[in-house]
Amino acid sequence: MKKIKIIIVVFILTTYYLILNTYIYAVLMDSTQFKIESANIEIAGGNKSSTSYKLSDTVGQLAAGEYSSSGYVVKAGFQYLHLIIPFSFSISNTNIAFGTLVPNIPSTATTNLTISFGNSGQYQVTAIEEGPLKTQPGVAVPDTTCDGGGNTCSESLAKIWSSSSAYGFGYGMSGDDISTDFTDSTYYRPFPDRTASEPPAVVMTSTNVSKSRVSTVTFKANISASQQSGSYQTVINFVATPSY
Amino acid sequence: MKFKNILLTILFLTIPYSLFPNPSFAQQVSLSLSPPLIELFIKPGKAVMVAYKLENFGDPTFLNLKILPFEAKDSLGNIRIKPEFEGPVRFSLDNSELSLGKPFFLKTNSSQQILLRIRIPENITDGDYYYSLLAETSPPTAIEGVGSARTKATIGSNILVTISNSGNIDIKPKITLFSTLGKVFDSSDKIPVVLTVVNKGKNMLKPEGQISLKGNFGETSKYDIISKNILAQSERLLEATPSSLMDCRERKCLFPTSLFLSGFFIGKYNLSTQIKFGENSPTIFASTIFYAFPFKIVAGILITMIIVIIIIKRNSQN
Repeated sequence: MKKIKIIIVVFILTTYYLILNTYIYAVLMDSTQFKIESANIEIAGGNKSSTSYKLSDTVGQLAAGEYSSSGYVVKAGFQYLHLIIPFSFSISNTNIAFGTLVPNIPSTATTNLTISFGNSGQYQVTAIEEGPLKTQPGVAVPDTTCDGGGNTCSESLAKIWSSSSAYGFGYGMSGDDISTDFTDSTYYRPFPDRTASEPPAVVMTSTNVSKSRVSTVTFKANISASQQSGSYQTVINFVATPSY
Repeated sequence: MKFKNILLTILFLTIPYSLFPNPSFAQQVSLSLSPPLIELFIKPGKAVMVAYKLENFGDPTFLNLKILPFEAKDSLGNIRIKPEFEGPVRFSLDNSELSLGKPFFLKTNSSQQILLRIRIPENITDGDYYYSLLAETSPPTAIEGVGSARTKATIGSNILVTISNSGNIDIKPKITLFSTLGKVFDSSDKIPVVLTVVNKGKNMLKPEGQISLKGNFGETSKYDIISKNILAQSERLLEATPSSLMDCRERKCLFPTSLFLSGFFIGKYNLSTQIKFGENSPTIFASTIFYAFPFKIVAGILITMIIVIIIIKRNSQN
């Protein structure tokens, strides 16, 4: 039993020593052409200079011969990607009909967004409403704030929207490459509003697309008894762009 | 009588037809635009024409082409498209039947070649300008009496323009973070590595390099940094390959990572990176260390030992 105690004590002391005793190295790198100083553990930086070179200034030339003769150089596509599958974007249903909106009974409708890209492509899909969900005379269903209180959602943060007395218009997401705040099907966000100069929200993004990525957008509208009846309409713009 | 027969025949033919309504399909959009990226290095006063291919695999639709500037939104490679056109670069279409901002019709399973002319006026200051060529569908017609959200799809392709009179470019790269997000790991853990580089220069840069892992016993592994552009005045998380995959659904990926190291690690490990930015550029570098111990295995052995000792003691007492 004493031996076990000793082993445990030695193990604990060794572990503490190794955990707490971290080193900091200042590394020097130099050559006849340049010298790099003060690169650090965790964060590297410092001045990089030599008598013949200063990294803070001009670096290199752009394919000198070709550039000086034609005046331009064009490169198409991603140099690190072999694109067999072109960048493509699909929306399964462009007309999201809620039917007749009935007070205190939420209406939902879905559409699928699909992105296809070559191996390891990076992309984003953003969404923005061209204005609130409103009737022709301009009576609007407000953008949702979800259940309110601790469950107040925003354009960038989804929260629970399950109360039938929480009114508004918003969307939930499920599927590939969606934001992690859409925890389950009860989580919603309001769309950013272009007429209010709000920036579009990123609804899908990935740094590594293998072939095709699919997400489902659930549109939800819930109106109060005092909401004027009518044909409420809006346009949502989904913008898919590859990265740079 | 003959007239009656004709009427009956028409009726018999019409009724079954009208009993089987036409199937209705949701209108769908499916677009493809290539190439997805153009990098253009150009002198003031020059012009160049770039050919794009826009394909429609969905329902027939009207499309509108436009060019808008963009900027880096974050360090993850996402972009923010600005609402209004700005900058000195001039864009037009060489297609006789198309022009920017004027909708055109594209049938199902058909394609349209877009001939985009990019012109740089004289006497423009050296610098970078970033744009997206956007092809936007028209939303479907609203149905009266039905509440609906109509969607429109926009697909983009990015254009990175570097204007330089001399052919020289100005980049100021610096490694802002090179870390394993922790110092001590279990031997079986996947080790996350984060590498971010900032470019405070006037022109975009393209990193090339490696992340190297060196263990206690001299064993080394090398991971190639994926050469993604870092725009002027922006920061980007660089990724390296081959990276182990992390299931972000089970274990929330709280931090974006450049690389996941996998294997059975034990002892002290040195992790370093060296990055170049093209021919004749010096290398910038950073290094960090981490420790890995078989905590889970040791804990298992200890617990087993304790249980065995307890059992032996009880047996000996009996």
